[in-house]
Amino acid sequence: MFLSTGDLEAIWLTIKLAALVTAILYFLGIPLAWWLARGSSRWRGPINAVVALPLVLPPSVLGFYLLIAMGPQGPVGKLTETLRLGLLPFTFSGLVAASVIYSLPFMVQPVQNAFAAMGERPLEAAATLGASPLDAFFSVALPLARPGLLSAGIMTFAHTIGEFGVVLMIGGNLPGVSRVVSVQIYDLVEGMEYGQAHRLAAVMLLFSFLALLALQRRQQKSGKGV
Amino acid sequence: MDGIIAQFALSYPGFSLEVDIALPGRGITAFFGPSGSGKTTLLRLIAGLARAPQGRLVFKNQVWQDDRAWLPTHLRPLGFVFQDANLLAHLSVAGNLRYGAKRSRGRRVDLDAAIELLGIGHLLDRKPAQLSGGESQRVAIARALAAGPSLLLMDEPLASLDLARKQEILPYLERLHRELAIPVLYVSHAPDEVARLADHLVVMAEGRVRASGPLAEILARADLPVRLGEEAGVVVEGEVGERDANWRLMRLEFAGGSLWCRDTGAATGERLRVRVLARDVAISLSRPTDSSVQNLLPGLIEGVGDDEHPGLALARVRVGKTIFLARLTRRAVAALVLTPGQNIWAQIKTVALLDQA
Amino acid sequence: MTRGKIIPALKHGLGVLLFAGFLALSGQARAEKVTVAAAADLKFAMDEIVAAYQKANPGDAVKVVYGSSGKFHTQIRQGAPYDLFFSADIAYPRALTMAGYASSEAKPYAMGRLVLWSAGLEAERMTLLSLADPQISRIAIANPRHAPYGQRALEALKASGLWEKIAAKLVYGENVAQAAQFVQSGNAQVGIIALSLALNPELAPQGGYWLIPASLHTPLEQGYVITKRAAGNAAAKRFAGFMENQAARTALARYGFTLPSESTGR
Repeated sequence: MFLSTGDLEAIWLTIKLAALVTAILYFLGIPLAWWLARGSSRWRGPINAVVALPLVLPPSVLGFYLLIAMGPQGPVGKLTETLRLGLLPFTFSGLVAASVIYSLPFMVQPVQNAFAAMGERPLEAAATLGASPLDAFFSVALPLARPGLLSAGIMTFAHTIGEFGVVLMIGGNLPGVSRVVSVQIYDLVEGMEYGQAHRLAAVMLLFSFLALLALQRRQQKSGKGV
Repeated sequence: MDGIIAQFALSYPGFSLEVDIALPGRGITAFFGPSGSGKTTLLRLIAGLARAPQGRLVFKNQVWQDDRAWLPTHLRPLGFVFQDANLLAHLSVAGNLRYGAKRSRGRRVDLDAAIELLGIGHLLDRKPAQLSGGESQRVAIARALAAGPSLLLMDEPLASLDLARKQEILPYLERLHRELAIPVLYVSHAPDEVARLADHLVVMAEGRVRASGPLAEILARADLPVRLGEEAGVVVEGEVGERDANWRLMRLEFAGGSLWCRDTGAATGERLRVRVLARDVAISLSRPTDSSVQNLLPGLIEGVGDDEHPGLALARVRVGKTIFLARLTRRAVAALVLTPGQNIWAQIKTVALLDQA
Repeated sequence: MTRGKIIPALKHGLGVLLFAGFLALSGQARAEKVTVAAAADLKFAMDEIVAAYQKANPGDAVKVVYGSSGKFHTQIRQGAPYDLFFSADIAYPRALTMAGYASSEAKPYAMGRLVLWSAGLEAERMTLLSLADPQISRIAIANPRHAPYGQRALEALKASGLWEKIAAKLVYGENVAQAAQFVQSGNAQVGIIALSLALNPELAPQGGYWLIPASLHTPLEQGYVITKRAAGNAAAKRFAGFMENQAARTALARYGFTLPSESTGR
């Protein structure tokens, strides 16, 4: 077979992870981006900086501190144990949680920029036409921000697929649970199975390229109107 | 109560606004003044797009703002036309029109009437990016009307258009003026728009109201520091009467006399507005018999006031019920010994019709 | 400045420059740099050995990088700038020699041992059978695919018949140090790590260990090699020689490495 079952399992796991993380980040990131783009609280500055942290922190550092925090002696670990959820490291849920933190700026920043670029005017128009703020958010702000939302989703998805350092720190390399493609390729290289590593890497590269190409085309088309 | 009461006080570094006026509940009220005078701010305060810490706003017995109450914009039955159309870019023209109509909360909505009034039926499937400046503004006006508002607010709707587009839209606005039963608040710094459209004029400067009243009355006040444009003058409303087919002239009957002007093809009986600039009005003590000026009106000097230059003066001349302004040199005033109450003849050289390019 | 003072000032400045240049150049000529790639389990032993070496050879600058033997092997084949490679499994240095990436024969320097280690439970009272206890939900080992200690741990588990029972509880660290980290943070209750790691001053106070019988796995013969790149590096040779030194052997023994001449297939 061109790819081994282990490879296919890793690919499926990676796609599941990226899709789930992207969906969660849409849900969490859009309101956050809205508040950051338009709020006037003095907390915006610090929160902007915190959101951007995963961009500058080395993934292994992030992973290391997440491992400690989610462990039995850490604050998150103690919480999850109290809630009878067990511990997060070495689980798929733990990976999802870590990836949500790690990919947060990739969702929030493009969406925040899209909301900020829109300005007040379309929302004022909506208000004069009878739309409540919530109504205006869904009927005007979101549609106008669509290009930004789309690119945020693409970036988040792609970023999560490429995640390595964090997964390595808290994943435990468990097949079907945390052995994502990046770790699988790493293992193959370490184990000197270069041929298989090349094949898997090539497949991922092709897949990513085609996905990005398709999304680019779609964006161009929708940008052209009617 | 049939009108609008607006009382606002706000200030921030570099600007302060203090307003307490009553506006009519019908017709077009123009807010006129230089930029920075607060006219747009006042309009936005009335719309609820801006909020003054202290304010009171009552619209025909509905309290929109006072110490305890604040009605948010989306609950106020108004329509707003922005300076640059501000159409919703993700919707087609039809979508934009329906947007307000869908949110009209039980008010009577007439999409077709708005489309017809602004002549945009052929644009319905276009997206805003495909419209010209003039078309966008017409759609914006139609959109504001489509939701059946009780009050229409317009913020310098023609300011971002070139002359040709402006001339294209003004007739639509005049039509609006004739056919709308709701009050319109119209912000502008363009004298000709105000002259053509306004029934009531509010003159503003530096965040304060300098004058508020019927158009003709305000314009005829020679004592106002703010004039309707660089040139002082009056607006006279008259009805088309007699025609002179040979010389292609028509006669405009107004309250106090008549004026001959070029025949524009307007129907007999149609009401038109004309503008007579002070610089086009000369005074003579006796009726001239060999002047080229055809429009000679007997009048009474009501008063002589200062003009901008110390060598010039503005005289208020009453012809019947109508006031004209005449710009004279102080020397002429002294030479003719012009005094209030004196009977004179007003020579009106040029009558500018206000519905032509 | 008057003419009388310029010339002396220039001379002074020139003198300073020359002296500084001499210092810089002479410094370069005397000091030799050695970069050592060492298996993760060697951390504390190697740190001590390097310190002793530097005392004896102050002119040499020795830098050590710790990591997974498999990774180092791959990197050296791709031209990584290591002069010496101390592997947790002599198979890797032997492979380098065969492929022509070494300038010396692979020499054993120690025998590694596996232990059970725990931070929360008393590992010294456990045996491999304890791993089947339901109380233990996670067992950390190094990745068997490319870490020698991981491979041996897998062998030991299979040899003791426990593999099927506990396979689901395993979590894999990138190397044996990361496996230890999983245990140290409490995320795994127990781990199979290197004796040398269990003995190091950081981990030793946190928990006890139980020595896994060496008969359960193929020997962990740890070997080293001088890379091709360091063929002309005198300091590298000096350092390799130092490993035979008494100070080095003491350090290794202290950290749980039995020495090659002493082990006879226990």
